[in-house]
Amino acid sequence: MQYSPSDNMAGTAAIVPMVSFRGVVKRFGALTACDDVSFDVAAGEVVALLGENGAGKSTLMKTLYGIHPPDAGQVLVEGHPVAFTRPAEAMAAGIGMVFQTFSLLPALTVRDNLAMAWPGTPWFLGPQGRNARGALTRLAQLAPGIDPDARLGTLSTGEQQLVELTKVLNLSARLVILDEPTSVLTPAEAERLYGLIRDLAADGVAVVLITHKLADVEACADRVVVMRRGRIAGTGTASAMTRAAIVAMMMGDTGVRGGDPRGLPPRPDLPARPYPQLLLRDVTTGTAPADAKGITLTVNRGEILGIAGVTGNGQTALAEAVVGIRELTAGEVLLDGKTISRRRLEPRQPLAIGYVPENPRENGIVPGLSLAANLALRGIARPRQHTMHPEQVTQCLTDYDVRPPDPGRAAGTLSGGNVQKLVIARETGEQRDALLMVFPTMGLDITATASVYHRMVDAARAGAAVLWISEELDDLLELAHRIAVIRDGRISSGLPVTPQVTRAEIGALMTGGQP
Amino acid sequence: MTELAIVFFVWGFASLANATPLILVTLGETLGQRTGIINLGCEGGMLGGACAGFGAAMATGNPWLGMIAGAATGILFAALHAALVLGARANQLASGIAVWMLALGLTSYIGRAFVGGRVEALPSLAGTWVSSLPLVGRGLEQLSVAAPIAILLVLLAVWWLERTRTGLSWRVAGESALIASENGMSPTRARLSAVLVGGCLAGLGGAVLSVDYTQTWANEITKGRGLIAVGLVIVARWNPRLVLPVCLLFGLAETAAVRLPAMGVEMSSYLLSGLPYAVVLAALVANHLAFAPAAAMPADLKKVFD
Amino acid sequence: MTPTSSGRTLPFAAIALATAAVFLLAAATFFIAIGQAPLRAMIDLVLFATGDAFSRVESLLKAAPILLCAIAAAIPGRLGLISVGAEGQLHLGAIFGTALVLAMPQAPAIILLPATLLAAAVGGALWGGVPGWLRGRLSVNETITTLVMNYLGILMVNGLVFGPWRDPANLGWPATASFPDAARLPVLPGTGLHLGLFLGVLLALGCAFAFSRGIRAERVRVLAMNRKVGETYGLNFPRFAVILMATGGAAAGLAGICEAIAVQGRLQPGLSLGYGLTGFLVAWLCGHRFLLILPVSILVGGLLAAGDSLQLFHKIPASSATILQGLLFVTVLAVPGVLNRRAS
Repeated sequence: MQYSPSDNMAGTAAIVPMVSFRGVVKRFGALTACDDVSFDVAAGEVVALLGENGAGKSTLMKTLYGIHPPDAGQVLVEGHPVAFTRPAEAMAAGIGMVFQTFSLLPALTVRDNLAMAWPGTPWFLGPQGRNARGALTRLAQLAPGIDPDARLGTLSTGEQQLVELTKVLNLSARLVILDEPTSVLTPAEAERLYGLIRDLAADGVAVVLITHKLADVEACADRVVVMRRGRIAGTGTASAMTRAAIVAMMMGDTGVRGGDPRGLPPRPDLPARPYPQLLLRDVTTGTAPADAKGITLTVNRGEILGIAGVTGNGQTALAEAVVGIRELTAGEVLLDGKTISRRRLEPRQPLAIGYVPENPRENGIVPGLSLAANLALRGIARPRQHTMHPEQVTQCLTDYDVRPPDPGRAAGTLSGGNVQKLVIARETGEQRDALLMVFPTMGLDITATASVYHRMVDAARAGAAVLWISEELDDLLELAHRIAVIRDGRISSGLPVTPQVTRAEIGALMTGGQP
Repeated sequence: MTELAIVFFVWGFASLANATPLILVTLGETLGQRTGIINLGCEGGMLGGACAGFGAAMATGNPWLGMIAGAATGILFAALHAALVLGARANQLASGIAVWMLALGLTSYIGRAFVGGRVEALPSLAGTWVSSLPLVGRGLEQLSVAAPIAILLVLLAVWWLERTRTGLSWRVAGESALIASENGMSPTRARLSAVLVGGCLAGLGGAVLSVDYTQTWANEITKGRGLIAVGLVIVARWNPRLVLPVCLLFGLAETAAVRLPAMGVEMSSYLLSGLPYAVVLAALVANHLAFAPAAAMPADLKKVFD
Repeated sequence: MTPTSSGRTLPFAAIALATAAVFLLAAATFFIAIGQAPLRAMIDLVLFATGDAFSRVESLLKAAPILLCAIAAAIPGRLGLISVGAEGQLHLGAIFGTALVLAMPQAPAIILLPATLLAAAVGGALWGGVPGWLRGRLSVNETITTLVMNYLGILMVNGLVFGPWRDPANLGWPATASFPDAARLPVLPGTGLHLGLFLGVLLALGCAFAFSRGIRAERVRVLAMNRKVGETYGLNFPRFAVILMATGGAAAGLAGICEAIAVQGRLQPGLSLGYGLTGFLVAWLCGHRFLLILPVSILVGGLLAAGDSLQLFHKIPASSATILQGLLFVTVLAVPGVLNRRAS
C-alpha cells in the first residue's frame, strides 16, 4: 500500500511528524511484542491503532512513553530522536497517555489526582495552592459537574476518564495517547469522548487511539494503523477502508471461519418448561457504591441471563455473594431451593455452582501448584479429595486446549488465555446446575473468546442456569436470553433479548436513564 | 471537684511527657507507612537513638547534641531497612525485625559504657512564660521543650502530607507505586525519603526518652515502644493528626501503671506495667472491630499485610 | 512469603554459598571492630561449640528451645503468617506448666510430667491462638500482635515470680520453689540431655511429614498461595490461622517449660535468652522447611553455647551473640535479593 501520512496535507509536505516510530522492536524474553514497527503521527491527526488483544499496540505506545524502552529502532518526536526511560521525561516532551486502567487513585480527591501530574509546581505548593487552580480550570471546561474535592472513587467510570483526560491535557500535551478509552464507557459517554477527541485534533493535537473496536474507528479516526502479532499489518485512511478489510488485516489468514466472522456459537434454545434453578433474593452486601444492593433475579434451567454494566458497579460484590465468599448483610441465594450464600459467621461450604471469576490469574488459580492440582481444587475442602488419573488430567487439558497440556507444570506459568481455559475446564468439566461467569473474555483474543462462549453455551444447553456478567454489549445481545443491567449495585429487571432491544436501550439503563 | 480536675490535669500532662518519645516514633512510622513501607525496625532506630543520644549527651554535657546524635543514628538504621527493602526487595516485616535484632545487640554492647551515666535534660518549660498561664500553667511546668516540639512536628507532618506537592508524592507512592511512576513521580525516592525521615524521628524519640524523660540508660530501654508505634499507626488510621490522641492513650496507661500504686491500688507493679501493652492490644482490636482499617490503609501497604 | 520463593533465577546452592561468605566477612569485620583477631575468634567459636563432649552437650541444650521456637514460627509460616510470638508463648508455657507443678507437687512423675507438658502446650497454644484468631477473624496483623504479646508474657512471668509465686525460702530471690523430682524431665544418662530436645526433633519430623503430603498439607498450601481461591472452594482461613498459630504456640510453650524444669529447676526471671527471636530467625533462614530447621537449630545452638564460652575466655560480651544473629539475618535478607536483581 503506497501511502504517506502527509498526503492529506497538501502543501505542507515539509512538516515534520509529531511522532515517528522507526523500526521499533520490543522483546520480553522469548516473546517479541513489537517487531520492526514504523509509522508516523502528524499534528492534528487522529490515528486509530487497531489490533487484537496482545497484538502489541499498548506495548508500542509504552516504548514511546518511557515505560518499556525499545530494544531496537528509534522513536522521534518532532524529528528529534528520543529515548525516554521514565514517563516523566515523555510528559515533559508533551506526550500524555490515558491508560486503560486509569493512572488515578480512588482514595485521593479529584484535586489531588490532577495535581499528581502538574509540572512546574514547586515542592512546597500543594494541591490546595493558588497555582492548582490552573489545573482545575480545564476540568471545569471538560466536566463542569465534577466536584474537585470529591474522592475519585465516588465518581463514575466515565467521569474518572474525564479527570484522567484533564490531567493529561494539563501537561500541554501535543500528543495524546488513549488506550482502549471506550471499553469502560457507556455508549453515551463514548459519544461525548469522540467529540472531545475531534476537538483536540482541531486544536492541532496529535491523537493515537489504541482500540480493538471498529466503532471507534468509524466515529473519529483519520487514519488506521492495524497491528497483528507485533507487526504492522496495514495502514490506510479511515474513510477509505471497509470493516471487512480492517477485520481481515486484524485477523490475518487465520481465525475467521464460517458465516460469523467472530466464530460465535448460536444462542441455545430454552427448555420447553421454565424451571427456576438459581434464585437471588434481595442480595445485599453493604451500602458502598460497589456493593450489591437488593438484587433479585431468577435464572431458569438452560437460560443465559446476561448482566450488563460498566465495571465497578457492584459486579464483583454480586458474584462473590453468589459463590459465598462475601458475606451478605441481607437476602440469600438459592440453588434448586437450597441456600448457597453465607451470612456472617455461617460456616463455609464447598462451592455448589460452576464459577469463572473475573481476573482468573488472581482469583481462579493457585499459581504455585500444578495444573493437575488446580484442576482438583473444587474438592479441596471435601473430606477426601477426588484425584484424577494423570491420563485423565492430560485428556482434560487437551480437551479444553490448555497449552501446554502438562499436568505437572505450575499454573502460574501459563499465559492469560490458557489460565482462563484451565479455570473453565475445572468449572465446566462436569455438569453443573448453575454457572457464574464474570467478565470471562476480558483480555482474551478472538479465538479464545469464541471458545469461552462455546463452553458457556454448551453448559446452558446441558441444563445449567448461566449467570453471565459482562461489559461486552454486542456479545450479550448475541448470546444471552435476557439482559439485566447493573448500576451502582442495583439491578434493572431483565429485558428479554428480542430484535427490538438495541444497544441504545441498554446503554440508557447503564447510565441511569429510562429505556 | 477541683481535686478531680487537678488530678485530671496532672495525669494529662504526665501522660503527654510520657508519650512524647512515642509520638515522635509513631509519627515517623506513619510517614513511612503512608508511602507503603512498614518498618518494625523503628524499634531498633529508637533504641539506637536512645543509646547514641545518651552517649553524646553524657560525653558533651549538651542534651541538644544528644538529640542530633540520636536522630542521626535513627537515620542510619532506617537506611539499612531501606536498603534491604528497596534495594534487595526483602520482606518488609522480616527486614524490620533484622534491623531491630542488630540494634538490640549493638546498643546493649555499646551501652555498657553508659550504665549509671548522668545527663542534663532538655530545658523545662517551668519558669518560662507558659507557667504563668491560668489553669494549664501548673501542668505545663512539668513538661520539657520536647513535648511542644513533638506537637509542632505533628502539625508540620500534617501540612507536609496534605499541602505540599512532595507530600502528595508520598501519599501517591503509598497508594500505588505503579501509578506514581506513570504520573512521573519516583516512588522509590518518596519511599526512601519517608523511611529516612521516619528513622530520624524514631532516633529522636529514642534520644528524648533516654536523655530527657528517664535520664538514664538501660538495656532495651524502649521496651517495645517502637513495635507499639507500628500498631498505633493502624489505630491512628494512618492519619498523622490522630497520632497525638492515640499515643496519649498509651501515655495515660503508663502513667496509670506508675501512679496507681502510689494512690493505694494494690497490684503487682509487673502486672501494672503490662497495662500499656494490653491497652494497645485492646485499642488495635477495638479499632478493627469498629472500622475495618483496610479501608483507610494505603493501598500498596495491603500487599505487606495480606 | 518464604525467602526462597524469589530465589528461582539462581541455583539455591550458589545463593547459600554467597550468603555464607558474606556473613563470614561481616562477622570477621565485627570481630576486628571489637578488637579480636577474627580467625582466632571464629576457630574458638567452632571449638567451643563442638570441641569436647561437654561443649557438644551444651550446644544441644541450647539448641532445644531454639528448635522448638523455630517450629513455632515455621508452622504458621507455612500459611504465610509471620508470627514472632514464640518468646511470649514460651513464657506462657512456663507459667501454665509451673502452675500445674505448684498445684500438685506430690503427684507421681507418671502423672505430673505429662500433665505439666500438656499444660505448657496449652498455655503456649493460647498465646498463639489469640493472635491467630484475631488475624483470621478480624484481619489484625499477626506480626504486631505477637510482638506486643511477647512483652505481656514476659511481664506476667515477672509478676508471678516477684509476687504470689515467690518462695519465701529464697530469701528475696525472685523465683518459685524448686520443682519436685517427679516433675524433672527424663535425662539421657551421663549427658544432661533432656526430653525437650527429643520432643523438638520428633515435632520437627512430624511437621515435615504432615506438611508434605495429604489433603491437609494441600489445603495449607492453597490458602498460603491464594487465600481467596481456597475460600471460594470452602476452606476456612480463620480456622487454619487459629489452628496453626496455636500449634506453633504449643511448641514454644513446651520450650518454656523444658527450660524451667530441666535447665533452671524452677521458674525464675531470665527464663529465655531471646530464644523466641532466634527461633524466628532460624525458621526464616530455612524457608520454614522443618528438615532444614533441625540441623540449623543445632548449629545456631552451638554458636550460642560457644558464645557463652567466648564471653568467659575472650571477654566478649554476651550481646555479641545478638549482634552476630542480627548480621546473619541482614545478610540472609540482603544477599539473595541483590544477587537475583543482578542476575535478572
